[in-house]
Amino acid sequence: MARSGKFWKTESTFAYLLLLPALIFLIVFMFYPIVYVFFMSFFKVNKLAELVSFSGLDNYRYMFSKPEFWQIIVRSCMWTALAVAAKTVIGLIIALLLNVDFRGRKIVRTLTIIPWASSVPISAMIWQWTYNNDFGLLNYTLQSLGIMSNPPIWLAYPRSAFFACLWVDIWCGIPFMALVFLAGLQAIPQELYEAAEVDGAGSLAKFRSVTLPLLSGVLTIATLLSILWTFNDFNVIYILTTGGPGTSTDILITYIYKYAFQYLRFGPAAAMAVITFIILLTVSIIYARNYFRRGEIL
Amino acid sequence: MKKKTFSYYLVYPAIIFVLLVLLFPFLVMISTALKPLEEVYTTPPHWIPQNLTLNNFSDVWFKYPLGTYFKNSLIVAVGTTVLNTILCIPAAYAVARLRFRAKSFIMYLFLIVQMFSPVIVVISLFKIIARLGLLNNLLSLIFTNGVFTLAFAIWLLSGYFSSVPKEIEEAALIDGCSRMQSVVRVLLPVAMPGVITTVIYTFITAWNEFMFALTFITSMDKRPLTLGLYNFVGRWTVQWQYLMAAAILALIPVVVLFMFIERDLVKGLAGGAVKG
Repeated sequence: MARSGKFWKTESTFAYLLLLPALIFLIVFMFYPIVYVFFMSFFKVNKLAELVSFSGLDNYRYMFSKPEFWQIIVRSCMWTALAVAAKTVIGLIIALLLNVDFRGRKIVRTLTIIPWASSVPISAMIWQWTYNNDFGLLNYTLQSLGIMSNPPIWLAYPRSAFFACLWVDIWCGIPFMALVFLAGLQAIPQELYEAAEVDGAGSLAKFRSVTLPLLSGVLTIATLLSILWTFNDFNVIYILTTGGPGTSTDILITYIYKYAFQYLRFGPAAAMAVITFIILLTVSIIYARNYFRRGEIL
Repeated sequence: MKKKTFSYYLVYPAIIFVLLVLLFPFLVMISTALKPLEEVYTTPPHWIPQNLTLNNFSDVWFKYPLGTYFKNSLIVAVGTTVLNTILCIPAAYAVARLRFRAKSFIMYLFLIVQMFSPVIVVISLFKIIARLGLLNNLLSLIFTNGVFTLAFAIWLLSGYFSSVPKEIEEAALIDGCSRMQSVVRVLLPVAMPGVITTVIYTFITAWNEFMFALTFITSMDKRPLTLGLYNFVGRWTVQWQYLMAAAILALIPVVVLFMFIERDLVKGLAGGAVKG
């Protein structure tokens, strides 16, 4: 306590000084825009995104009274739940495979990463061509291998377009899951498996009583991250279908964008952005909590 | 080594299946990029090009403004990286080395902020960019990409700085270095792998960005690659063999760079959970 208080004061002043440039940029291009969107959501806004007059909760009321909006909410939840579940299960299976000490493992690991390493917008364009009904190689391959005798025109109908987009999102997210789980698996001490073997545990019992419990930390944090990313996936849907046909493949994030920049209805778009912001904030706080509980940062 | 059981050999078919599924669109991309026009538009399609050609690559470069798109992407990615690095090194140093009251709050904030979708703010950001007179200017992309990569970059880099023992810098200070010198001559060289990781991360993110470009860029000569290729699909009767050739060219640099940093990304994102 008696230690020169001044030194610490100058040290913290210095720290704030170093943080200042970064904080200014964050404030101008991120925090201020967020506040402004909150603001906007309570105003009538014209097509040039200028505030016209205070309108209270009108924008929210307008959105909530639209059945389409509720459909989009439900679809966003389905989209996130299905995609995250699929990524987690497939990622875990791939991680278990990569955890086997086989020849060529390093190369396989590298190849597995490519969908994550690739640029999402460009991947989406490649998938668009792959899904092409007449000349695309997906339907041709599915047919010639006898997996599907009559595959749909993927991007033309609401249901198939939704699953086509969903699959591309899953496909993009699998490598991250696989890598995180692999890192988690490799951190499990070998002795635990040996001890379980001594106790007469089979492979399934070992998986249930050793692997899964020890992986739970990684599982939680990866799932939370994946929820955030999946919910935020703008590129895949916008590029593959622009939310279409109609709004049948829109999720909140693409719907907001369309509302603002295609329909030029900035007020309702801002209201939806606020709702989305609150959802994201909640999940990311849960993520941050988990992150700090497991990590030894600070 | 463990005994090689029957299940060991089952791994191979499983792995091959997984790789075929994960690499499927890239195989499509390569196959299409190597086909001449007539072969691309035949039904039923076929996998192996009968008349292998590399003309698509030169056509896409000389007949279409792919070079301009590349240049724009490079300007945006390099600009973003420079801006981000200048902002991020002092901030990461403060977080890793100095004591101040709001530290845990700020770290918490940075972790949360990186999860915000740019779509939430793009509505108002559009107005700010317009007011700054930066619409249809590559600077708009440099600023926005810089900010949206900043939090995670500080996060990554401060982790690296903290892992360097303080004593090395203290020794330099005792030897008469100023604080600035101790950072530039001692800390940064030791933490160079971390700086490189951060730089690559920023570069890749800016290179791949699409939504801001879609919103802020209006003229063709300012389009970065992602937007340029996206408009490729709309404007010219889609010549998919060209698009696929362009995609290969656009992907190679980022995929290669990504391989250098994937381990750090996994660690940075999952935190203590994967440190074991």
